[in-house]
Amino acid sequence: MTTTVSTPIAVPAKPRHRRRSSPYPTWFLLPAAIVYGILFLIPTFASLYFSLTRWTLFNSSFIGLDNFVAFFEEPFLIQGVVNTIIFALLTCALKVVFGLGLAVLLTSQIHARGLLRSVVFFPVLVSTVGVGIAFTAMMHPTDGIINAGLGLLGIKGPGWLTNPSLAIYSVAFVEVWRGVGLATVIFIAGIVSIPQDYYEAARIDGATGWERFVYITLPLSRPAMVTVVILSFIHGLRNFELVWAMTRGGPGFASDVLASVIYKQYQAGFYGLSTAGNVVLFVLIAAMAVPLYLYLNRKEGHQ
Amino acid sequence: MSDLTLKSIRKSYGAVEVIKGIDLEIAHGEFVVFVGPSGCGKSTLLRMIAGLEEITAGSLHIGNVLCNDVEPRDRGIAMVFQSYALYPHMTVYDNVGFGLKLAKAPKDGRDKKIRDAARILQMEHLLDRKPSQLSGGQRQRVAIGRAIVRQPEVFLFDEPLSNLDAALRVDMRMELSKLHQELGATMIYVTHDQVEAMTLADKIVVLNGGEVQQAGAPIELYQHPANLFVAGFIGSPKMNFLPVTVKGIEGDTIVVQADEIDDLRVSIPGATARPGDAMTLGIRPHALRTGADGPIKGTVDLVERLGNETIVNFRLGGGTQWLAVLDGDMPLHRGQTVGFTAPEGEPVLFDRDGRNIAIANPQAEKAA
Repeated sequence: MTTTVSTPIAVPAKPRHRRRSSPYPTWFLLPAAIVYGILFLIPTFASLYFSLTRWTLFNSSFIGLDNFVAFFEEPFLIQGVVNTIIFALLTCALKVVFGLGLAVLLTSQIHARGLLRSVVFFPVLVSTVGVGIAFTAMMHPTDGIINAGLGLLGIKGPGWLTNPSLAIYSVAFVEVWRGVGLATVIFIAGIVSIPQDYYEAARIDGATGWERFVYITLPLSRPAMVTVVILSFIHGLRNFELVWAMTRGGPGFASDVLASVIYKQYQAGFYGLSTAGNVVLFVLIAAMAVPLYLYLNRKEGHQ
Repeated sequence: MSDLTLKSIRKSYGAVEVIKGIDLEIAHGEFVVFVGPSGCGKSTLLRMIAGLEEITAGSLHIGNVLCNDVEPRDRGIAMVFQSYALYPHMTVYDNVGFGLKLAKAPKDGRDKKIRDAARILQMEHLLDRKPSQLSGGQRQRVAIGRAIVRQPEVFLFDEPLSNLDAALRVDMRMELSKLHQELGATMIYVTHDQVEAMTLADKIVVLNGGEVQQAGAPIELYQHPANLFVAGFIGSPKMNFLPVTVKGIEGDTIVVQADEIDDLRVSIPGATARPGDAMTLGIRPHALRTGADGPIKGTVDLVERLGNETIVNFRLGGGTQWLAVLDGDMPLHRGQTVGFTAPEGEPVLFDRDGRNIAIANPQAEKAA
């Protein structure tokens, strides 16, 4: 074939840079800046300062990095860090897997789709402490409904929260149950924004349902994926309420996470020390979440 | 062999019937255009052929195979979407080769086919780009390339040019026409643009309200529209219409009268009409000639002088707006009174049901 027509390439007009000659628009930033400053910036810098002091809430004396030294000498710190990372990775991965699976299911043509979407989202609305207490009861080694149910099948259930090597995983499971609804909603939003045309083109190209998922849904729901991964991961790293409601870090210190270690120091009245712990937690989250975010968002500009 | 046969094809969404029994034969290698206004069911019909919409009733044969329940990939078709539907996360190369990859074609053969398609469409230099880095016309090419590599028996196009600017549309139209000759495959093309339909088609199928109004060669539809709808839809500018009454019949010539024009003689061999019959007169703007004592008189509202022709927008005595397209440059001006004649063979008459009285049996026309 000899096509002789050359295609003109549409060159998008360069957006004209408007010179900002007036300070007027800046004033509109002020209300938000004040709120952000009072509620976030000041406390953040205040906590940075107090982490360097011996602090009793009423007076403080500067002691340099002693709090940090003491924090890192905390005997169960390593256990807490390891648990925190296990908890964050596990809940994040499971929320992605189940969230995506549920979202695919709930965007397909199934009966009672609206109702099921609500059902999946309900746990997100329940108080975390309430969820923790309810599951603690259900996970009771002898009287809990889970082991009672397993008992009917002739299986002797483990001590979900009393077995030191299992406790953190049980809490993680509950966190997944509680948080998967939000992940699902984010994935649903991502999936429904994929134009139907791609699926139709893929069907004509011969893609099976699974291939459409792998080649269309998965890559094109990547923005939702990034959001879910980052949110769940950070949420996992900061997790406190559920661990506290279910195990208080126990048995012993087996299910302690960084946040519960810090809270215990608060309870003991070491305000400066626990503030130092919070600074460490903040730095840890930033050090892990920021590179993760940058990695996941790489090349996004080309899409 | 890949003849397409549609028999009493119907489509309903609940109680709403959008395709109301369509019979159509499409021969191998034909370029068929479905044309009609928005919502006439043309895209739905195409998607039913593609297998993207279920067929509520009737049968669809591609070749000799009943395809009602056959998966799209097994129908031997390829489709170009209005939005192009290029996978945004894949390069042009991967987009074009996606179908082959799914079909587990060997890598060497795949590569050759992709490069062949790219050469045919002159887009070899684009293979490494992502769709977002392409212009509208280039995306169009990639979408066509994706269809070509599958070497389908039937190409389906769903308004493929509607997102392009006017100049590019004309270019791509010519390319599609060449491609059709080159590949010799059957092509079914949906558009609402009757100019595209006229220029591309071997056969035009005019649809309205889920029914075939007329199917036939473009010039056939232009010269012998089966009914008022086809007459109004095919041809640009639109045909002029006026309600008239039959005054008398002289052999093959019917004399019609109306308040807004003087008596007009229309020659329609073999047509049956009785004096007193209410009809609709149709005259194409290009059929009108100026003539001071012609039967059609009006006041000029607007004159568009294009140099090679002059489009005159005028009002008949009763206020009906008509158009005339006159050859060459005519220095008419607004408010001027002009007279027009129409050669006896040019006007068309439609009966009370909107059917062209020159075509005795519209069903015969439909099947053509």
